[in-house]
Amino acid sequence: MCDFSFEVQAAGTIVALSTPPGRSGIGVIRISGERALDFTRSLVRDPDFSPEPNRVTLKPIFDPDTLEVVDRAVVTFFKSPHSYTGDDVVELSCHGSPPLLLNILDVLLNLGARTADPGEFTMRAVANGRLNLTQAEAVRDLIEAQTHAAVRQAARQLGGELSKRLQPIKDVLLEIIVPLESSLEFVEDDLPEDIARNIEDNLFALSARIDEMADSFRRGRLLKDGLRVALVGRPNVGKSSLFNGLLSSDRAIVTEIPGTTRDTISEVINIEGIPVLIIDTAGVRPSPDKIEQLGIERTRRAIADADLIVAVLDGSLPLINEDEEIVREASSNHCVVALNKSDLESFCSNNAQRIDDNLPLVSVSAKTGKGLDALCAEIIKPFTAGYLDESSFVITNARHYDLLRRTSEALRAAQGLIQENVSEELILANLYEALRFLGEITGETTPEDILSQIFSTFCIGK
Amino acid sequence: MRTSFDEDFDVIVIGAGHAGCEAASACARMGCQTALVTISLDTIGQMSCNPAVGGIAKGHLVREIDALGGIMGRVIDRTGIQFRLLNRSRGPAVQAPRAQADRALYRTEMRHVLEFTRNLHLRQGVVTDFVIENGQVTGIQLQDTRRLRANAVVLAAGTFLNGLIHTGRSTYTAGRAGEPASIELADSLKRLGFPVGRLKTGTPPRLDGRTIDWDVFESQPADERPVPFSFLTETIEQPQVTCHIGYTNESVHKTIRDNLQESPLYSGQIKGIGPRYCPSIEDKVVKFPEKTRHQLFLEPEGYETYEVYLNGFSTSLPFELQQELVHKIPGLDQTKIIRPGYAIEYDFIDPRELTPFLQTTRVRGLFFAGQINGTTGYEEAACQGLLAGINAALYVQGREGFTLRREESYIGVLIDDLITQGVDEPYRMFTSRAENRLNLRYDTSDARLSPYGRNLGLLADSEWERFSSRRDRISKLRTALLATRFKRSSWEHAELSRLIEKDLGDSISLASLSQYPTVNPSILFDFLPASIKSYTTFSDLETTVGDLLYHGYIRTQQQNNERIRNQAEVLIPANLNFRDISGLSHEMVERLERVRPQNFGQACRISGITPGALSTLLFFLKTSKN
Repeated sequence: MCDFSFEVQAAGTIVALSTPPGRSGIGVIRISGERALDFTRSLVRDPDFSPEPNRVTLKPIFDPDTLEVVDRAVVTFFKSPHSYTGDDVVELSCHGSPPLLLNILDVLLNLGARTADPGEFTMRAVANGRLNLTQAEAVRDLIEAQTHAAVRQAARQLGGELSKRLQPIKDVLLEIIVPLESSLEFVEDDLPEDIARNIEDNLFALSARIDEMADSFRRGRLLKDGLRVALVGRPNVGKSSLFNGLLSSDRAIVTEIPGTTRDTISEVINIEGIPVLIIDTAGVRPSPDKIEQLGIERTRRAIADADLIVAVLDGSLPLINEDEEIVREASSNHCVVALNKSDLESFCSNNAQRIDDNLPLVSVSAKTGKGLDALCAEIIKPFTAGYLDESSFVITNARHYDLLRRTSEALRAAQGLIQENVSEELILANLYEALRFLGEITGETTPEDILSQIFSTFCIGK
Repeated sequence: MRTSFDEDFDVIVIGAGHAGCEAASACARMGCQTALVTISLDTIGQMSCNPAVGGIAKGHLVREIDALGGIMGRVIDRTGIQFRLLNRSRGPAVQAPRAQADRALYRTEMRHVLEFTRNLHLRQGVVTDFVIENGQVTGIQLQDTRRLRANAVVLAAGTFLNGLIHTGRSTYTAGRAGEPASIELADSLKRLGFPVGRLKTGTPPRLDGRTIDWDVFESQPADERPVPFSFLTETIEQPQVTCHIGYTNESVHKTIRDNLQESPLYSGQIKGIGPRYCPSIEDKVVKFPEKTRHQLFLEPEGYETYEVYLNGFSTSLPFELQQELVHKIPGLDQTKIIRPGYAIEYDFIDPRELTPFLQTTRVRGLFFAGQINGTTGYEEAACQGLLAGINAALYVQGREGFTLRREESYIGVLIDDLITQGVDEPYRMFTSRAENRLNLRYDTSDARLSPYGRNLGLLADSEWERFSSRRDRISKLRTALLATRFKRSSWEHAELSRLIEKDLGDSISLASLSQYPTVNPSILFDFLPASIKSYTTFSDLETTVGDLLYHGYIRTQQQNNERIRNQAEVLIPANLNFRDISGLSHEMVERLERVRPQNFGQACRISGITPGALSTLLFFLKTSKN
């Protein structure tokens, strides 16, 4: 009868490597769906294998062709609906050898599993009501999170923190809407005077609070996307040693960014929880060499894309015009001047006196590591002023930021209308719009919710 | 049991209250031989609660009924004794007409209108059962052994299904005070498997007006220029009366508190759920102990009677106590109660049983309208009656069903709310239930709905001509308002600046002028170009100014609607088995199956459905399209 005979994409048992590809200590294979346990039984050649949910079991994994034990894996079973996706889930923690993992995945696919699409585990979790959309977005951020601070931030959002933070704001908004609405629906009940007086003040306080939350997006973005910092300077001022110095001073290198150009090298370091991509550029100088010119061109592009420029100068030598030119160009962006080679006897901080006093300047020694911490602090300073308290909540998602901004705009429009003495239904149109934007994060407020509040607040009806 | 029928009709409507009258009138005018069966021919169009029509959101509904070609607006326009436009100080979207009715005249006029409707046949009798063949209704059985045949039946039983009246500790079965309840019909619905719930409503005592000291009360006069409900009514001719406003006091409240055990509401005797927005005086006193007084309205029941309706004092306390309480109100210290107030419990059917055409999913050809669907209010009932009647006619004529969208009408909001969310208390319309209330003004219901009424055959040629000529005048007026500008040098500019005490700049159009909160249409009217003024009515001008006022908002809303509609209008095939969708929990499948939403938008509004289930459903619907 049903003309939907196609196979629903959401069906079936899906499988994927859930740790990053590449050689690692442990590789986790996740299987989700009705047949997750079935497939595991075949894999461990134990038809009676019935692991206790949420407990780990060490099991040998067999190659079905050769019947050889290929690995010993830690098997964890999460029973539906108490799993991440809401389906039955088995996680196999194997040794992190790529060929081994691929082999096990192959076996599972041959058994009838299907490769999960990107985000499909999360999609299933949403579909099974295990996560709401805000949480799902946080999961995506969690996966993409590069440093510990970002992980903490994403974990907080996962617990519905954003919804929780917005709830009191929404409550205040409802406190404004309810008496206005009541006065429209039930003419005989005039707006109590104290409430009428408070509406404007409340609106003002509310939009300020929302703005504050929206502002935290800057720091949120910082935690998630990190900073791009380019080291620029004449050849041989010590950019590369500074680059290496910064890397080794930071023990928490997270990833090597693939696809970097041959002549600009970049690495991510962690400065107070913020992932900072440091780009070592080719020295800038006029050159007839075609290849070097290309390198210099790339350097200019790196400068253009960077959030901050570290202008590296050789502090052991008097500055020349080219140095000044580099600093001048860099100062059009956020910029820190690093006066390198402070370990040399000929180093003289006075060499920098021709540099603009307003630019932050740090004396460093790439060689001894002296001053590197100060340099790191200067690098993040322009982006973190007032925002570095990790306990404070930040917005990390552009959609949430956008919604908060629009909420605030709608509230301001409502304030404007109140000042012009415009009729309530127009003020309410803006307030409802604000409520709708908030609702896209926290869940919808229905007319029934508002009516309920009216009836519990006011004695309505003839 | 007999198998033959005494009479043959196309459609039978059961119940001649506000829903039944609209249903029967619409069916008959759409060409169907229609029987309207009522327990008593003398209570056709009876206002069993307060003698008034309209109010905020309710007045909107009456205007929409009228625009579609319904009769409620026309009848109240001829029988209203006090017309007031509510929320006059606010914008036109939340203004609405309300009128006190002469209860007896309303009944008489309604019966007169029905008796003079072609194809409409009044029958008195108590319906006890439906005749059903292979899941299709084919007629009804009356208590007096008569059997009437029809392929569509509209059931508009109001509060009569298992009606039980409470006054103090005494109870008796009744449909309304003084009329028998329908017990057998309620049983037959249960036998058919309809999920039945219980609701409650109440009325206040009626007073002897000769014993009221009127001078003690604040008077509330009618509007000087009564705004009619019907687009067909030019002016309200009948004389207008005054209502009066008074208040309860602490002494009244104390007596109520001391005697709560006497109230069936608080003794546990009443099981049904009452409306929160129309609380009994017992409820008001208990729930809002900080209020030292509650407002009361003394509303006359008609020209020829001294009966007065004590609005705001709905109660089911024993009669002696009602009389004692009334005496505690200054001005009523000598007043006699003519009829005591009472509470009534009645059966309703879960409206999630219904299709958007108000047809039941259990029995083909059977339609439900009005209070049986869990609503309250004459207007809410009437609009369902109209839609059920239209659809019953379309059903027997083999034509496609008729629905209205939420964004184009309050009627659409009401029916969509009922069938997707069900009710847990008597459902009343509020403007805040409509997402697009700025676009659902009382004075634009003709523009929104009359073309439908015309297509359905409910608006006669002369009525359609009136509609077209009004739309035409409004469009010319709009052009004129935008085009007429006054320069600083003109006398009009000087005069207007003086009138509204504002600098109007070097040049101002009538359209921009109309947007000043201090400029009312009567000022504007004087400055219209003579050529336009000659044929423009005041109401034309108000509507045109309203259009200009909300123009920007409505455009934004329409853009939002389109965005939402793209998703909301993803259709859900009627034969889709929700159990086939993997990832939907058993509970979600049950909720979806109970409502059987026709599109994703309706699914979104089902109460208790989770966002997760919705995204699974949408995902399924979108992937299944390819």
